[in-house]
Amino acid sequence: MCSRLLPLLVLFLASTALVAQSAPQSPEPEPSTQSLLDRIQQLEKRISELEDHERKEAEAQTGTSNSQTVTETKPAKVSAMPSQALHSEHADSTAGVREAEIHYPSLQIRGFGNVDFSATDQKGSVSGFNLGQFVLHFASPLSEKVRFFGELSFTAQPNTYDLNVERTIIRYDYNDYFKLSFGKYHTPISYWNTAFHHGAWLQTTISRPQMVKFGGTDIPIHFVGLQAEGNVPSGGLGLGYNVGMGNGRSSNFAKSGDSGDVNNNRAWFANLYARPARLYGLQVGGSFYRDKLTPQTGINFDEWIASANLVWDKQRPELLAEYVNVHHQNLQTSQTFNTTNCYVQLAYRLPWQENKWKPYYRFEYIHRPNIEPVWDYTGTATVADLVGSLVGVRYDITNYAAFKGEYRNFRQGAGEPRVNGAFFQTAFTF
Amino acid sequence: MKAHWKPVCRVLLLSLMCLCCLETAAPQSHDVDVALVVHPDTPVSNLTLAEVRKVFLGERQYWSANVPVVLLIRAPVARERSVVLKTIYQMSDSQFKQYWIAKIFRAESASAPKVVYSNDMANELVTAIPGAIAFIDTREVRPGAKVIRVDGRLPGETGYPLR
Repeated sequence: MCSRLLPLLVLFLASTALVAQSAPQSPEPEPSTQSLLDRIQQLEKRISELEDHERKEAEAQTGTSNSQTVTETKPAKVSAMPSQALHSEHADSTAGVREAEIHYPSLQIRGFGNVDFSATDQKGSVSGFNLGQFVLHFASPLSEKVRFFGELSFTAQPNTYDLNVERTIIRYDYNDYFKLSFGKYHTPISYWNTAFHHGAWLQTTISRPQMVKFGGTDIPIHFVGLQAEGNVPSGGLGLGYNVGMGNGRSSNFAKSGDSGDVNNNRAWFANLYARPARLYGLQVGGSFYRDKLTPQTGINFDEWIASANLVWDKQRPELLAEYVNVHHQNLQTSQTFNTTNCYVQLAYRLPWQENKWKPYYRFEYIHRPNIEPVWDYTGTATVADLVGSLVGVRYDITNYAAFKGEYRNFRQGAGEPRVNGAFFQTAFTF
Repeated sequence: MKAHWKPVCRVLLLSLMCLCCLETAAPQSHDVDVALVVHPDTPVSNLTLAEVRKVFLGERQYWSANVPVVLLIRAPVARERSVVLKTIYQMSDSQFKQYWIAKIFRAESASAPKVVYSNDMANELVTAIPGAIAFIDTREVRPGAKVIRVDGRLPGETGYPLR
C-alpha cells in the first residue's frame, strides 16, 4: 500500500510545485505575500498596543506635572492622541507630535523650481540655459475655518532677481457652499491659470499656453480683491462657482493693481463649472470678466472676457481645451475689437515603466485684429497672432521631480516666418 | 516495516489534501470588505460612492457648518490604502501624492489626508477626532463604531463596492 501511495504522493507534490511555478502571475497577492501582510498587520497591532501603553503612561505623568502648552490647540480629546498618531502625507516625522495637537497657525512651506534649456532658429535668439522661477508657497490654517495662503516668486534678471508676491489669500470658510477670501489671486477666468501656478512641475508641458503666459497681457493673470467660492447644491452635476470683485489690470496691463486701482471702476468676474459625479475626471466650465480700461488719459474701453473650458484630468488620457475671447469697446466711438485665443492639449501617461512616461501634444491659436487700440496704446501689451504646435514627453524621475523635452513649431505675428525650437526642462518640488 | 509506513502515508496524504482545501476555502484578506467608519457624531449614515469620492478628493470639506471633514488614510502598502486608491481616487500612489500637493498649493485645501499606520490607530483616531472618516478592514472595526452605508449597502452585503 505504502509503495503505491508514495509515488502518488511524490506525483502530487511535483504537480503542485509545477502548477505553482507555471501559473500566470495573478494580480492578487500570492500566499507568501499574504503571510507577510498578515505579519505586518500583527506588528502594527503590537505597535499600536505599545503606543497605547506609552500614551497612558504619558497621560499619567501629564496629570501629575500639570504642564500645558501655551499654543492654542484643539480640544483635549484630540490633543490626548498618541504621539506620532497623525502624520501629514508630506510632513516629516518630527512634526508628528506637533501636528497631532493641531496648533494654529500651522505653517507648511513648499518650494518649486526648474532649470531650462532652449535653442530655436528664430533670428536674434541665443540658445542656452536659464534658471526658471524659484517659487515658495506658504499654507497655514489659522483656525478650523480660517486659512492663509501665500506664493512668492524669484525670477532671474540680467543683474538681479525680481521678487514678486504672486498670491496672498486669507480665506474664511462658512461651509462648503460659501467661502469668502481676500487678497491677490490667479484670476479664475481660465482653467490653466488656476490649476497650474508658478511651479512648472505641476504642469505636464514645459511652458504655459501663450494666452496665460506670466508677464503676458492677453488676459489678466492676477486679480486683487475679494472672492466668494463654493459648491452649488446640484446633486450629481457637481456644480461650483467663483465670483469676485477687485482692481483688475493696473497701468501695466501685465500686472494687477497691487498697490491700488487705476480708476474708480472695479473689475468683476463670475465662473461656473461642473464636475459630474458619473464622469469622474471631467470638468466643464465657463466664465465672464468685466473691467474698464484706461490705456491713455481720457480714452476708456470696456473689457469683456468670456471663456469656456473642457477638461478630462485623468492621466489616460489627459485633455485640456480652452477658448477665451477678449472683447474691447471704445466708449467714445463704440468701436469693438475681439481677440480670440484657444488651445487644445492632449497627453497620455504610458502604462509601462511605472507610469513614468507621458507624451503630449498642444495646439495653440491666437488671433487679434490688425488694429486693436488697447494692445497698440500700451507699450507693454504684446498680444500678437500665434499659430503653433508643440510635441514633447515628460518623464517623472521621482514623485517630486520630472524631465521634460519638447519640440515647438510656431508663427508669432502676421507674416512672420515660422520658428522651430527644442526645449528641455527639469522641474521639481521640495 | 511496510505496515508501519502505511498509516503514516495515509495521514500525510490526507493532511496535504486538507491543507490544499483549506488554502482555497479560507477567506483571504483581499476578499474582505473595507468599512467606511466615521466619528460617532458625524451627521451622515449613508453616502453614495460618488459622494465618498467627493469627500476624499477634498471637494466636500464640511459635514456641517461647524464640523470639518478630517480624512484619515492608511500608509502605503496597506490593503485599505490600495482599495481607496483603486476604487475612490482611481490613481496610483504617486498620482495621489501629486494630487494633494497641487490641491494644497492651489489654496483649495489646508492639508492632505492624515496618514495612520494601523487599523487600531484608525479606530482610535476616528473615535477621537470630530469629523474624522477612515477606511478600516471590516474584521478590525471596533464594536460600537459608526460604519456608514455606501450606495445603501453595508460591508458584507452583496454589491458593496469597497473591497
